[in-house]
Amino acid sequence: MISCADFMAEIANYLEGEVAADVRLQLENHLSHCQTCQVVLDSTRKTLKIVTDSGSFDLPEAAFKPIAESIMAKIRGERR
Amino acid sequence: MSYLREVELGSSFPPFATFLEEFGFVPHIFQAQTILPRVIEAEAALLATILLKEQALSQIQKEYIVLTLAQANRNVYCVTAHHQMLRLLGVPEQQLDRIFADYAQAGLSAADTDLLSFTLKLGTNGSFVSREDVTGNLAHGWTDESMLEAILTTALTNFLCTLSTGVGAAPEFTPRQIPAAGPSPLFGKPSSEGASGSYLRAIERNPADFPPFAFFVDEFGFVPNVFRAQTLRPDILEAEASAISMVLLTGDILSRLQKEYILLAVSAANLNTYWVAVCGELLRTSGVAAEDSDQIGADHHQARLAEADKALLDFARKLAVQPSRFGRPDVETLRHHGFTEEQVLEAVVMTSLTNFLNTLQIGLGATPDFAPRRLFLRDLSKIAHLSTPDRRPTLGERPIDPDAESVAKVRNGNLDVFEELINRHSRRVYRTLVGILGNDDEARDAMQDTFLKAFQHLGEFQQRSKFSTWLVSIASNTGLQRLRDRKHAESLDEDGSVSEEGFRPREVRAWTDDPEELCSKAEIRALVENTVMKLPAKYRVVVVLRDLEQLSIEETAEALGLGIPALKARHLRGRLMVREALSPHFTGGTRGVAV
Repeated sequence: MISCADFMAEIANYLEGEVAADVRLQLENHLSHCQTCQVVLDSTRKTLKIVTDSGSFDLPEAAFKPIAESIMAKIRGERR
Repeated sequence: MSYLREVELGSSFPPFATFLEEFGFVPHIFQAQTILPRVIEAEAALLATILLKEQALSQIQKEYIVLTLAQANRNVYCVTAHHQMLRLLGVPEQQLDRIFADYAQAGLSAADTDLLSFTLKLGTNGSFVSREDVTGNLAHGWTDESMLEAILTTALTNFLCTLSTGVGAAPEFTPRQIPAAGPSPLFGKPSSEGASGSYLRAIERNPADFPPFAFFVDEFGFVPNVFRAQTLRPDILEAEASAISMVLLTGDILSRLQKEYILLAVSAANLNTYWVAVCGELLRTSGVAAEDSDQIGADHHQARLAEADKALLDFARKLAVQPSRFGRPDVETLRHHGFTEEQVLEAVVMTSLTNFLNTLQIGLGATPDFAPRRLFLRDLSKIAHLSTPDRRPTLGERPIDPDAESVAKVRNGNLDVFEELINRHSRRVYRTLVGILGNDDEARDAMQDTFLKAFQHLGEFQQRSKFSTWLVSIASNTGLQRLRDRKHAESLDEDGSVSEEGFRPREVRAWTDDPEELCSKAEIRALVENTVMKLPAKYRVVVVLRDLEQLSIEETAEALGLGIPALKARHLRGRLMVREALSPHFTGGTRGVAV
């Protein structure tokens, strides 16, 4: 028998399709009668999509131009 | 002064400040490791908790254990240093000479003499130690607490002896001559102890509210019995956890796999069944097949390993079990195989740590234990391995690297190409650093350090991994070091490392069908950034690398020096925390959407 905690521990593997067929069956069996896990699974899937699509902390390459230049100045200075 | 390059760390480096205060000098054994300050920190913590703190045994009693065992190990460096320690502790020269000549005739109490006989047997001929040796001492009035300290001190002595031999530390004082070895002591038959639990009293602890255990659950997936047997001293368990985390779990110098191989090969050389078994399990969860790890234990020359890695294991085994024959040429051999100074040092420290762990287990009598978190998981991981055979990392594997050509050009002196590499990877390096440091300014600053380090060490980049992975691992180490340096450190290991067992979802209201429609892209980005920034660092970095940077599980594990199971556990926990935080914004209830 699978508990909610068991399901929670496997939720990432499940979403990534990394569970074997018989385990998947057990997980889905649990899912069919547990509304909490259904909600958590659905919202975790949506969380992943939101996070991945958000472009967080991604700055254009140009934003780092001054840093790159300063690094190169130090490197060239060292060589001289 | 030693076999390895040294750098100046200065007396403000905290462990050195402590040594200066305690001993009046920085011992050469630590001076020889200045190229890797983090291992000195870990060793200093072991030394402070095991040797310098007075609890059940006095410092003099513990120094006697060190001195007699170092003498039996014929380690001139440790004998000289601890002879000096005992003088500092006020033991008269004459008494030290008597101990040196024969501890059994030195006028010590019968109980003290018995204790030294036990620690000598444990330290030099561990496989002969049995439950009776430990219970016999308990019967003589030693408490469980004092026996635990005696066993730990013995293990620490073997650690220091191996370490000083490996780095080639020269004595700080006039070396003590060790008399020619007498007949080796007779210890009876090797113990054939079965699975019968540890010898000493221990307290049951729950990983959920005991940080050292939470660490092992997090990193290994289980709490090895050898640590369960030491719960009388949580402070020492913490120092051990930190040593394991700094020495074994890092992957930026030697790979984690290489260090697990050292643990396995040296434990096998020491005939330590327990650690060979634990190591087999660790390697299995890292994706190494049982037959491959068995072969390394039996004879690594016949194993499927790169030639350099075979040389690495030759080096470690010789240092561990034939220290009298070990010397500078062995270090040279590793250099010829392309290992850097830092890598040689890590090999020495890892070998020493293995001798420590092996001695500890024999003294404690801990029996193998792989009880997984729950049975269900064990079955699952077995199946998961079968279903993804081609994802197993092997040492010989060389991933195709799109940057290989550029790296070669820079190595040949074309500096401008390095600027291209910076531009190509700046976004990724920045994200990694923001993920660790949680702060834009600091991330930019650490970016400079990262690329400068990469440039300086480009000659050491061995193309075992892709350049981008190597770069991310430098970035993460730079970030982690800065995190450790922060005063009120939010560390990757200490931020309330609760096992994922305790995690229960609180937000269980259903989300709307199209959550991304509820807010603008900018709003969502700000929300995600705020949420991620609020995560504890160890989860934050994994979420950033996996879900934002979209590195593979293997690449992330390598960059952070984590095992795959530990990484997966943190990743899951981090994702679920993000889910909790985002939930109020996307549940039907708050936006008036019917569920």
